[in-house]
Amino acid sequence: MRRAYLNRNHVFVTLAWLTAALVLMAFVALTVGSESIPLASLWPALKQWLTHNNQLGEREVILFSLRLPRIALAVGVGASLALAGAAFQALLRNPLADPHILGISSGAAFGAIVGIITAAQLPFAPNLTRAVFSFAGASIASALVYRLGRREDDPARLVLAGVILSTFLSSLNVLMLSLVDDVRLRNITLWLLGDLSNALTESLLFIGAALLLGLGVLLTQARALNLMMIGAREAFTLGVETTRTRWLVFAAASLLTGAAVAAGGAIGYVGLLTPHLIRLIAGADNRLVLPAAALGGALLTLVADTLARTVIAPRELPTGAITALLGAPLFIYLLLKRR
Amino acid sequence: MLPINSFFRIFIIALLCCFTACRAAPPPSDTSRRIVTDELNRSVAIVANPQRIISLAPNLTEMLFALGLSDRVIGVTSYCDYPPAAKSKEKVGDTLTPNLERIISLKPDLVIVTTSSQLEKITRQLDQLQIPVYVTNPRSVSEVLASIQHLGDLTGATAQAAKLHSELTTRINAVTERVVSQPKPKALFLVQDTPLLVAGSDTFLHDLVTLAGGVSITADVKGYPQFSRETAIARAPEVIIDPGRPENKALADSVLRKDYATTPAIKQNRIIHIDPDLTNRPGPRLIEGLEQLARALHPSAFITKP
Repeated sequence: MRRAYLNRNHVFVTLAWLTAALVLMAFVALTVGSESIPLASLWPALKQWLTHNNQLGEREVILFSLRLPRIALAVGVGASLALAGAAFQALLRNPLADPHILGISSGAAFGAIVGIITAAQLPFAPNLTRAVFSFAGASIASALVYRLGRREDDPARLVLAGVILSTFLSSLNVLMLSLVDDVRLRNITLWLLGDLSNALTESLLFIGAALLLGLGVLLTQARALNLMMIGAREAFTLGVETTRTRWLVFAAASLLTGAAVAAGGAIGYVGLLTPHLIRLIAGADNRLVLPAAALGGALLTLVADTLARTVIAPRELPTGAITALLGAPLFIYLLLKRR
Repeated sequence: MLPINSFFRIFIIALLCCFTACRAAPPPSDTSRRIVTDELNRSVAIVANPQRIISLAPNLTEMLFALGLSDRVIGVTSYCDYPPAAKSKEKVGDTLTPNLERIISLKPDLVIVTTSSQLEKITRQLDQLQIPVYVTNPRSVSEVLASIQHLGDLTGATAQAAKLHSELTTRINAVTERVVSQPKPKALFLVQDTPLLVAGSDTFLHDLVTLAGGVSITADVKGYPQFSRETAIARAPEVIIDPGRPENKALADSVLRKDYATTPAIKQNRIIHIDPDLTNRPGPRLIEGLEQLARALHPSAFITKP
């Protein structure tokens, strides 16, 4: 049994540690890459970047136009996915729930593929088209799962609906992949594996806004989620507006998933694994788990992405391949440890 | 239990009979067949003068048409759009997913494919059906010419192949002569910009850049890998080659100007846009791509002296 009241000290220490680790990792990610930039030149490069925006050298471009936005994107995508995973796991009282299992990632991917295919015919920037379609896909999938599994106190039904929707959408994705030409095929395949190499300003703004909004909404529902983890009926008798909470959590988590998939492709395991790791070190109170999962997801994704762009440099690997490579064994370890 | 079992046994035996019957069907073993070795060192039995040829790639279709064999081509892929006459040929699917039934029903006496892992399965299936499959594998400009010659040998169009080969060789030599004394700019050949895909040292695109009088900055990798943009920038390309559709040129141009702003290529305004059909299809038109690329890399070398 966890403490009924969260110890302020515990919250502070956990979040401070995670933040410190994330900042440290961001610093490491900034200093390593396929091109070596000596630590000593970091400060002059920063000054140059801040003061002479018009005349940037190659060093400043690599540090602040390539690495820094990519770090920000990894942080945004990782935080969003982990936050969505933590919210779904709490709401559905199912440790396997995450945006992938529920079919919401597949929905986002479906939308994005349609976006990539139709981008040439539409008069908008390809990236914008992809983002909008991806978000629409996530929302539609989410609404479908929500409707299919709406029965009041039966989280299993919802997961089942998600699994079925996910399989269905995946088969649609495969169908579309087999119909496109080879250039687009390669493009979509790389993107589906999770690719953070193209950190555009609009992607960063989009994911940043989604993250702030999603985190804000979820934190207002954290206490209600704590009660709903006992059971929806029990929560209801304790004064939780369960329908409203469900709806809000679903909407926020879909927004986060749609934004993350649109910006970074389908990066697996972050949403599933991070909440488990966080609960292991921080307990089960969602008031702490939610913000801590956001930080943890950001950290994990940043580590994976830094590996992806350095291990076989100058070649690059898809970030999603690394998260799966690290995530699957870690998850098995957690399973064995829990027994 | 027993009736089901015995029924099952009969079923299996019937099935086996079917298979052996298929196996026993006499293979079309006329003596006119000869054994040739294709570009993957597979042995293929081919009739002396194949009349029903199916091409499973646009570059091969272009080769066959350039050899004057258009009448003997009975099937092409949906990507085969050049020469325009190729568009009216029967389509047997696209390059990655050809339709096996359509191929069989056309009764080809020769199917020509180009290397690509997706085609392994169909090559094996056609092999089992005793439809001869010749695999081409050009990895350099000279191997493209060799492929043309091989196709000429296969089809009996030896004279046309020799003529085309010498014409193309003359044109290649004309290009290399002009660029030989020129300074060689460091070139970044974009297979795709986002995510960045480049051509490694074992590809015909690498060879194309070299022959056109440039030095590829991505010669340390092989194949067509995803590549680090910071390395591409740090290697300071003096020219960026972007094979892209003309209608996307303006957009591609603005993206490249932003992404590679610090490189000499952008500072000196040297982005080369080139028709991807001329560079990305290892067929006869690759030489046209070579000429255009060399001209763009070394404009001064192509000013005809009065």
